[in-house]
Amino acid sequence: MAMNYPYDDFLDLFFSNNKAATASTSSCVEQNDGSLDMDWDVDFRDLIESMMSDEGAPTESPPTIPCDHGQEGICNSASTGFSVADGVDDAEEPNPDESKGLRLVHLLVAAAEASTGLDKTRELTRVILARLKELVSPSDRTNMERLADHFTDGLSKLLERANVQRHSSPHQHRDVHHQVDVLSAIQMLQNMSPYVNFGYFTASQAILEAVKYERRIHILDYDITEGVQWASLMQALVCKNTGPLTQHLRITALSRATNGKKSIAAVQEAGRRLTAFAESIGQPFSYHHCKLDTDAFSASSLKLVRGEAVIINCMLHLPRFSHQTPNSLISFLTEAKTLNPKLVTLVHEEVCLMGNQSYLYRFMDLLHQFSAIFDSLEAGPTRAFVERVFIGPWVSSWLTRIAITADDVEFECFASWKGWLETNGFKPVDVSFANRCQAKLLLSLFNDGYRVEELGQNGLVLGWKSRRLVSASFWASRDSSNQ
Amino acid sequence: MFHAKKPSSMNGSYENRAMCVQGDSGLVLTTDPKPRLRWTVELHERFVDAVAQLGGPDKATPKTIMRVMGVKGLTLYHLKSHLQKFRLGKQPHKEYGDHSTKEGSRASAMDIQRNVASSSGMMSRNMNEMQMEVQRRLHEQLEVQRHLQLRIEAQGKYMQSILERACQTLAGENMAAATAAATAGGGYKGNLGSSSLSSAVGPPPHPLSFPPFQDLNIYGNTTDQVLDHHNFHHQNIENHFTANNAADTNIYLGKKRPNPTFGNEVRKGLLMWSDQDQDLAGNQPLDDEHRIQIQMATHVSTDLDSLSEIYERKSGLSSDEGNNGGKLLERPSPRRSPLSPMMNPNGGLIQGRNSPFG
Repeated sequence: MAMNYPYDDFLDLFFSNNKAATASTSSCVEQNDGSLDMDWDVDFRDLIESMMSDEGAPTESPPTIPCDHGQEGICNSASTGFSVADGVDDAEEPNPDESKGLRLVHLLVAAAEASTGLDKTRELTRVILARLKELVSPSDRTNMERLADHFTDGLSKLLERANVQRHSSPHQHRDVHHQVDVLSAIQMLQNMSPYVNFGYFTASQAILEAVKYERRIHILDYDITEGVQWASLMQALVCKNTGPLTQHLRITALSRATNGKKSIAAVQEAGRRLTAFAESIGQPFSYHHCKLDTDAFSASSLKLVRGEAVIINCMLHLPRFSHQTPNSLISFLTEAKTLNPKLVTLVHEEVCLMGNQSYLYRFMDLLHQFSAIFDSLEAGPTRAFVERVFIGPWVSSWLTRIAITADDVEFECFASWKGWLETNGFKPVDVSFANRCQAKLLLSLFNDGYRVEELGQNGLVLGWKSRRLVSASFWASRDSSNQ
Repeated sequence: MFHAKKPSSMNGSYENRAMCVQGDSGLVLTTDPKPRLRWTVELHERFVDAVAQLGGPDKATPKTIMRVMGVKGLTLYHLKSHLQKFRLGKQPHKEYGDHSTKEGSRASAMDIQRNVASSSGMMSRNMNEMQMEVQRRLHEQLEVQRHLQLRIEAQGKYMQSILERACQTLAGENMAAATAAATAGGGYKGNLGSSSLSSAVGPPPHPLSFPPFQDLNIYGNTTDQVLDHHNFHHQNIENHFTANNAADTNIYLGKKRPNPTFGNEVRKGLLMWSDQDQDLAGNQPLDDEHRIQIQMATHVSTDLDSLSEIYERKSGLSSDEGNNGGKLLERPSPRRSPLSPMMNPNGGLIQGRNSPFG
């Protein structure tokens, strides 16, 4: 039966020369011992289709691929047809890198698709992943190969876990790398890409502008991780406040019991580091750790001071202890709105944002996102380290997330953060000229393919070539006065 | 783009295809069906003087201006529209702010500029105002640049401090593990749970260490105070990381893109990063010739193209749902810095470098 697989469009995004995607009859011989002797050049769609239909498995309807943003410019929908591979004429043979890359994408998608099937396809998944492992390694030459290696790893881990228990625990801890390694990797990543700092600096700049005339600043940080964002904010405050007009900064960081003891310890450690840093530069500062026993945040658990300006800060663009479901953030923001925040900063990855999409769509979106990230990182001796320590686990945790929520209807059932915020009592806050300047300036320090684009009046989005990577947007509670 | 427009080629609402006659009062009126006033150089000069006397365009009203000017035949209507244009000419950026949300408005701000300038016939005065606005913007951009530098440095220091602490924790763990292993009689099994860092890649590089701005003489006298206390090179963590070598500086700050025209191309960028004598082959270190000076340009030279880029860039801002779509904030060329070009008093462009960090 004819099926409209979503990844047809996505493959266009990966490769300009998509001629290789020709369907052919599947030739698959099942041996006596039950293993499959695969013809690896076969287009797997047919194979999977036949397997699926044999079992009577319900087939997915092709998802609509709405493009949330304007037709021009950066758009993460599958319907844009940009090409990663440049300079390949239609008339020429596809270059070997590209055809291998294409094959890898096919295999990955096939593996992903098979992994969501019933038990029989699990075997197929294993077979496909084994084949992938033969083809790729972490030290391969091309980005696509190494990326495929990470994805293969991630899918393999999922498969193992699924074998052990039917349903994985929703709280996936990062692969065990020592904190020193992770921090070093983050530091290196900051030097290789503006990804990390775009979020931090853009948000901090908006905060500084919002609190320009405030004596007391209270920042409620949804997920402080190591507190890196606040060092530069403190420095900016100190720099600006020469004289009697010192502004007092207070940060309340949340930790959730559901994230485990490690996350609680991390929040406390961040407090110590920030306090020490503030002291070293002479910024009046105090830190509070708000421990949430359940995931529910209540404004009453905060200590508030009269006359302070409340800022809500949500940095979601880096991997954290465990992914918070959007519902967790939604309930947090709903509650935090009662504090009448002067500014709400929201920075998040531009991936898997569309609600109600199929698992396969999300998988392809993820593959696309990470291939853009891979392409955007600068080459260098530290790159392998960063890929292994930081990006690999990042990929794995995302794969887990989209896999376990494949059946979860509740998951991300809203169209976008922007839509939710606008209809839930928040109003946009404009991005300033200085902020835009800063973003462009930051980008100028890195590779040439980065772009900064406006996101309405109240946001900026960082993209690589035509893929949006991370966006920052600014809001205030509708009732808050004086903009 | 900004050459002096002949009065006969004015655009906008002052269509002057018809003949002009000089009336008794000295005003020049057109002879088309709806007589329009031609704002000559002298008239505009009187207008500007009057406005200045009254305390500026915001304070002045058409009525008061009329009284002060004392020109017969000048009506409130004339003055109202001219005053409005004059005010707009003084605040070009505000105009863009409003227009950026409207469809197809990107050209309009510049058109208004041209309208005001040409209709008045007084190019230089409005140009001065616009110039000042541009200077204001440029100054703001420079502030952003300076602040970004400081912020990156502060963040680097903080990263270093948390790394140090993490290393100490690691060392503590190793010690504990070693002693535990030793006391358990199993013998020390080496670096239990140690950082794989040293084995993988060698010592990690410095935190973000930008080369100093010493060659960037953009603030004139104030540069020194701003830059002197910046120490961009942080100390290594002694115990765990040895001093890095020169090769590591390549890791930082990205720009390793090969630039075949580098050094030949006229540099329009404001940002000049020195590179501590490490650089792409064939490039000279910065010297006095290449320093960029901010000058109050005494006249607007041929580089008004680039001035307008600022406006175009600004007015090219789009909303994601707006009709401009997702038009990118594209730098005019890959080689240029996002900040505008500067002019030296000779009217030419400064030749400089946009070198990558070392």
